[in-house]
Amino acid sequence: MDRRDNASSSAPALGPDASFRRDVLRHEEARGLYACFSCGACTAGCPISEVFPEFSPRKLAKRVKLGLKRDVLEDPYIWRCTTCRGCEQHCPQNVRLYDILNVLKNMAAEAGFAPPAWVEQTRWVMRTGLVYPRDAALAKKRRARSLPALMSRGEQAERLIARTGADKIKAREEP
Amino acid sequence: MRRYALYLGCTTPTQVIPYELASRWVCRALGIELVDLAEFTCCGMNQVNLSLEAGSLLAAMNLAHAEAKGLDILALCPACAGTLAEETERLRDEGRRARINEALALVGLEYKGRARVRHLSRVLYEDIGPERIRAGVRRDLSALRLAPHYGCHSLKPKSVFEGSDDPDDPRTLHELIAAAGARPLPYATLPLCCGGKSFPVSPEPALSLVRKKLDDLIGRRADGLVVQCQTCYLMYSGQQKAVRERFGDRPLVPVLLYPQLLGLAMGGDPVDDLGLDLSAVPLDGILVKAGLAKWS
Ligand code: SF4
Ligand code: SF4
Repeated sequence: MDRRDNASSSAPALGPDASFRRDVLRHEEARGLYACFSCGACTAGCPISEVFPEFSPRKLAKRVKLGLKRDVLEDPYIWRCTTCRGCEQHCPQNVRLYDILNVLKNMAAEAGFAPPAWVEQTRWVMRTGLVYPRDAALAKKRRARSLPALMSRGEQAERLIARTGADKIKAREEP
Repeated sequence: MRRYALYLGCTTPTQVIPYELASRWVCRALGIELVDLAEFTCCGMNQVNLSLEAGSLLAAMNLAHAEAKGLDILALCPACAGTLAEETERLRDEGRRARINEALALVGLEYKGRARVRHLSRVLYEDIGPERIRAGVRRDLSALRLAPHYGCHSLKPKSVFEGSDDPDDPRTLHELIAAAGARPLPYATLPLCCGGKSFPVSPEPALSLVRKKLDDLIGRRADGLVVQCQTCYLMYSGQQKAVRERFGDRPLVPVLLYPQLLGLAMGGDPVDDLGLDLSAVPLDGILVKAGLAKWS
């Protein structure tokens, strides 16, 4: 791995938090990050960037390489990715930015910055097996259309999710 | 008779019932048997936000359930199909499979690596094929100019969809629309994402994306948009009201799910079989051009 590619930035060799970079790269999915040469093809192919230019996958990759841990994990923009995978499709270096974003979101969630919507969905999966609640009104609606009753249960999902610790993640406080 | 485990996902059976209705009707009419599995849960797609590991475990659990029944999976949601299929690829690695199976043993399951997962449209395209679909058409829909929206998860990632369509110039949905007798309409914003997966935490950019495509379709005088994903459907159909409130009044764009279009072509009842009455945007224009009087 060639770390000299940061030579043009200030404090390039380690950056503010070298362990952050290592923690990200420990994930198999994130390994290609060092092949990134900041060409910007990912940002050009990102629909969220198209309507919200503040969101830039290219800059995000750069910030991770610089080790800007707090800056990245506290950034609400990492949660705006719409999972389209345009970034990895367009990347000439096969950097898997979508996967890297998930690694970053996992780290941010552990640090207490998860948006309530995702925490809530996980809670529902553990109860109903689905990311949503299921009530009598829905059952009635389905019956009226001659659709079979929904049968999913949450027990198995709950045991597997609990094994990962994701059941303990708390949502960030909304302003 | 082809037999599949029907993977409904979370959103379709709770919020997009017309998709489920039309899919079941079309599959029955084409001789595709769908088996409902009580054991299926969320595929893990949204769980990866909090924990990649939790997402993988949920995907593997669902694969193991289908495999135990000896069934391949037919998914209505492209994101579920992609999530599950991508996990089958990852689980080819023996080390990973051993690690995941250690966790699955907690709930009495094991995944051996035999499950195959495809989305409804892909099964229709590959198993039935445009030619046989054309042979089953009973209603003339040639007056309809319809724009295809593939949806990101129907084309990406490469590792899952290599060989099934070209993400830079996709054709399969065009062909499926043509096979149903309607005319696929070319338009500039075809690749644009619906923003649906960011909507729950950040609605603003998503609505801007929806607006962009709708305005393109209005400019092209499309009779409607055809989608193959319940989330795209919720964004383009369900959120049209929000787009109009936020960005100003504009003409309504009818949105159909592909099996609704195919069901119409095959002679299905618009309400009982295909749930067209459950659309947030009135579909009268489509029905008139399909030679059907508007329902009361
Ligand atoms: S497209 Fe790839 S190489 Fe180019 S900036 Fe994005 S991640 Fe880096
Ligand atoms: S996956 Fe996320 S970051 Fe990548 S292009 Fe799509 S919205 Fe942008």
